[in-house]
This record gives sequence, structure tokens and C-alpha cells, in this order.
Amino acid sequence: MTIAAGLSDDGVTWVIELDDKFDFGKVQEFRDAYMSLPQTVETVEVDLGKTEYMDSSALGMLLNMQKTLADKSLKYKITHCRPQVGRILTISRFDKKFTIS
Amino acid sequence: MKILIVDDESLNRFLLLHMLEEEGYTDCYEAKNGAEALEMASRLKPDLILLDVIMPRMNGYEVAPHLKQMYGDSYLPVIFITSLDDKESLARCLEVGGDDFVAKPFDKVILAAKIRAHGRIRQLSNKIEMQNRALRYFQQNVDREHTIVEHIFNNAIVNKSDITAFFDFDLSPAAVFNGDVFLCEASPAGGVYFMVGDFTGHGLASAIGVLPVSRSFRSMARRGLSAGEMAAKLNTTLLSLLPADMFCAAVIVEIDASGKRFSVWNGGMPQLLLKEAGTRRVRTLPPRHMALGILESEEFEDDCEVFEAAEGDQLLVYTDGLMEVMNAAGEMADEQGVIKWFSAQAKVTSQYLHDRAVNYRGDLQQADDMTIVLYTCQSLATVKNDFTLNELPYSISLSLSGPELKNQHIVPSLIEMINSQPGMTLLRSDLYTVLSEMFNNALEHGILKLDSALKSSPDGFLEYYQAREIRLKQLQEGSVSFLIQFLPKDAALDITISDSGEGFEYTAPANTGEDNSFGRGLTLLNELCEQVTYSGNGNTLKVRLSIDR
Repeated sequence: MTIAAGLSDDGVTWVIELDDKFDFGKVQEFRDAYMSLPQTVETVEVDLGKTEYMDSSALGMLLNMQKTLADKSLKYKITHCRPQVGRILTISRFDKKFTIS
Repeated sequence: MKILIVDDESLNRFLLLHMLEEEGYTDCYEAKNGAEALEMASRLKPDLILLDVIMPRMNGYEVAPHLKQMYGDSYLPVIFITSLDDKESLARCLEVGGDDFVAKPFDKVILAAKIRAHGRIRQLSNKIEMQNRALRYFQQNVDREHTIVEHIFNNAIVNKSDITAFFDFDLSPAAVFNGDVFLCEASPAGGVYFMVGDFTGHGLASAIGVLPVSRSFRSMARRGLSAGEMAAKLNTTLLSLLPADMFCAAVIVEIDASGKRFSVWNGGMPQLLLKEAGTRRVRTLPPRHMALGILESEEFEDDCEVFEAAEGDQLLVYTDGLMEVMNAAGEMADEQGVIKWFSAQAKVTSQYLHDRAVNYRGDLQQADDMTIVLYTCQSLATVKNDFTLNELPYSISLSLSGPELKNQHIVPSLIEMINSQPGMTLLRSDLYTVLSEMFNNALEHGILKLDSALKSSPDGFLEYYQAREIRLKQLQEGSVSFLIQFLPKDAALDITISDSGEGFEYTAPANTGEDNSFGRGLTLLNELCEQVTYSGNGNTLKVRLSIDR
């Protein structure tokens, strides 16, 4: 597995951690990472701390996740972005839909 | 054994000579007075002297000190042969430097025994002197070799001053050579790498491993590898280089250009401490891995932890020499002691921590190498990238057709080719995004004829990529060609990708809604590249990436 997902210590944040490449090769795995969320989850956090490379399909996957989970009222965070990755998210105006840090 | 007989009376000399001959000492010489004795002693270098006390002009008491002085530290037995038998005279024989005395007329058995006894000591003294000489020679050799090695070390481990300026560090080796190492280097992505390593033991044997680590670290830093990749490579190098009982505990940190974000790989080093500037609250970052040079490549884990801090926060990396410092009662300062010292002030210096350790140790000797590295979070925007570019233009061109397009590593291979050129690592991340975008565009739409509209629903999104996989598997026809040109004058990289597909109507502006999970590629290209132009029937796309930052 190249994507790790699980409940964080606070019990309400679901953390999905990517590896160095976030591209179309991760489509299925990324989808699996959020398909069975526990009821208690309030926030979904995508940890891009290790991600050095991403392309536009990754952006699609992130939006797709929000669409799929639209019926639950969840908050979305993208955390630990490297500057280059953060730039791509900013260029694509992802700050409107995700809290980016 | 060479024996010198000193007596002014020839009869005495004859008797002694005769006796010595009987005892098997044939290498004997005679001196008639003190002056002659000194002259012969300096010329013949005898091993033992039989000295008469009462002689005209210079008596035995006067001659003895001169003889002793002549031989310096090496033992020259002087046995007085004397007719005086009062206690004072006999005692004086020894006080002036003599080693023994025999009364006249001498007893052959006693004198022979004494000569043998002193001969043994003389031999021993000669042996010691020889060994001392060998030792001195050896010492000189070692000193010379150390000077050479020190010179090499000093040249090998040079951190650039504009990078070390961001750190406050203190290196205290326990011996001449340091088994600890502190390295730092600029990152091509902006920001800085640093590494603190601690080889098993201390002194030259442990310092020798520093050389390959230092070289390797620098070259990897210039290529922009991640901290984890660096750890994995160093592990492989050290595994093949070091004996089984030697390894290197290490912390490798990549600080990004903001200066506040750390990616940390810690193998076997003491926990890192991160102190909030305002509250002085200290976070501990314990090691997650084993030291370098122990695990086989397939067992090795290169995952890093990412930490974020705020401006002014202080990061402390130290080797076990600091926390294992002992006081007179035999108690270690330990992790808690270091935290106490570190949190004593909002901003401590490495000198302060060094002094705490020295204080704690008191009169005891330093037992291990000790290294303290402090980094205070600050913008690293001033880090200059002196990455030189090629002076001559070059181009990479390739055309892939049919089944060749199924290869999973097309984009990574191209990146590797480009990154092998000087200065190109500056583009690492952007280049990946741009090349992936362009290639996927050509492959998915031009060759595989997939329709992006499919991606508009969550299920369709997945279907799209499933269709991509199936069609790629069956792919027999079609081609994609790449032309990558480096233009030194413009400090730019032109990338052109054409596909054999039907193209599309590129005059229509791409309309991307914020919610659409597709159609963002072109926006990205427009932002990351200087120029984005379609040509032909829309199946050729050319972009320019500017390298100047």
C-alpha cells in the first residue's frame, strides 16, 4: 500500500497520507481510502507531507472525493504541503474548497 | 661486554685484566688516570667501568659524575675498586654516582658476580633505550600520518559559510578526530539540508567513515533528493563499507524554503527537540529508525516525518555525547537534563548547552564526541542557488509508438535524462507536473481517445481511469513524440509533444468550472509555463519552462 489511511488520535479526523507521487496511478487506492469512513468522522485530512509530485488528475481525485462524500457534512483539510505542491493547489484555487496548510 | 679499567697502578690493572679474561671478558681496555678514562669512555663507549678511587690529579670521585653525565639516561654501571674501608668513603662512592664498590684486594668471586649483575641491568637499559627509540620513531610516523589525514579531513568536510550561517553549532570531539559529523548544503528546491551523524566509538577509526558520507551527502543534496532517499543511499554505502560492529546513527533534515517546515529522518540518534519561541514548550521527536549501516536495503525504511514550526522556534539536534555526560556521582544528564537546559531560555546558544555539559561533568574527562546543532526558524529565501546551467544548447528527442506507450516509466525516465544535466534539478517538481500533463493529454485524448466529460461524475471518474487501463493494454497503433530543447541564452526548456491523434479545435477557450474534476491540466500548464501553444490540428503542444528563478 502506498496510501495510508486511518483515524487520528482525536477520533474525529480521518487522515489519508499519500507518498511521493500523487497521480492517476493512485485513482483506485485513493478512492478506497475514503470509501468506508467511520460515523464519528468530522474532518477528512489529506496529508501531502511526503508528496513531491502531483498532476491534474490528483486535483480531480480530491474534488471527486468531496463529491462522493457530499451527503455527509465534513470538513476537508490538506496538510503539510511542500511549496511546489502548495503552489499547484493555489494555482488551481483549491483553497476555496480545502483548508490548506 | 666492553669493560674499561681505570687505575693508576699497572699491577692492579694487570690483576683485574687477568681476572676478567678468566671470566670470559676479552673486550677490555685500560686507562691510567681520570682524564684518559673520560677520553676512552667517550670514544669506546664501554658497557661497564671498574674505577679506582685514589688517583693523582683527578680521583675516582671526580671522574664518576662526568662518566654518568656522558651516558645520560642510559645506564652505565660504575663499580669502585677501593682500598678505603671506612663507611664515609664507601658511602661516598655511591653518592657521587657509582653503582657499587668492591674492597681492595678484591675477591674474584664477588667482583665477577657483581659484574654479571650490573651487566644484566646494562643490557636491560640498552633494550629499553632501543624500544624507546622505536617508539619515538613510531610516534613521529603517526604524527605525520595524522597531519596528512587531518589535512584531508579539513578539505573534505567543508560546509559553505553562507549555509552554516543559518545554524548555531558546537563540535567537541573527545580525540583529535571527530566521529561525529555535521554537514549542511543548499537544496535545489530552495531551503537547506543538514545532517548530524555519530559513528560508533570515537577517534580516527570512527572518523574515517565521515569521508564517504560527506561526499555522498553533498552530491545528493545538489540533486535534490529527499531526506529519506538520502538515508537509503547512505545506508547502502555504509553497509558495504563498515565492519559489522560499526554503524552511524544519523539525523537527516530537509528544511524547506519557508524555513519552518522540516522533513526528518532519524535513525538511532537522540530525540530531536523543538521549542516554541513564546511558551518555551518543548516537543520531542524520537528516532523512528535504526542507525545507518545495519539493515540490508530491503529491510531499510526511508519514511520521514514532517514537522511544522513557527518563526523563532528552535530546533535542537545533538549526539549522545551531550545527554550521556556523567557527573562525579556517576549520574547521566540524560534526555530530561538536556530538555531542562534547552528550555531554560527562549533562545539558547550551542555554547550555553556546551557549558552546561562541561559544568555537569566537573573535573571528569570527556568520554565521547559531543555535537550540538541549533536551528532557529527563519526564512531561507536568501539561500543562493549557485547551480550553474549548461553553456551549450542540447535537445532530447524520442518517438514512442504502439506498445512502447504502455511503459509505466516514460515520464520518470524523461525526468531522469533532463535532471542529469547541470542545474536542471531546479525544475524537478514543476517538470514532473508539466511533462505528466502534456503526456497524459496526448496519450489519453490523442491516442486512447478518452472523453474527459466522462469524469464529471464520481463513478465516471473511476470509469475513465479504468477505460484508460483497458485501452492502453490493447494499444497497438499510434505514436507520441517528444522534443525537449534546452536554450542556454533564454535559460529555458522548450518541450514539444505531438501525438498521431486527430487533434481538437484548440481555438475554443477551455472553460473550467471550479467544481469540475477535469479540465484543470491546461490551467496548470498556463500557470507553470511561460508560453503554451497548440499547433497543427491541435495534436502538437509546445510549452516553455523558464529556469530563471
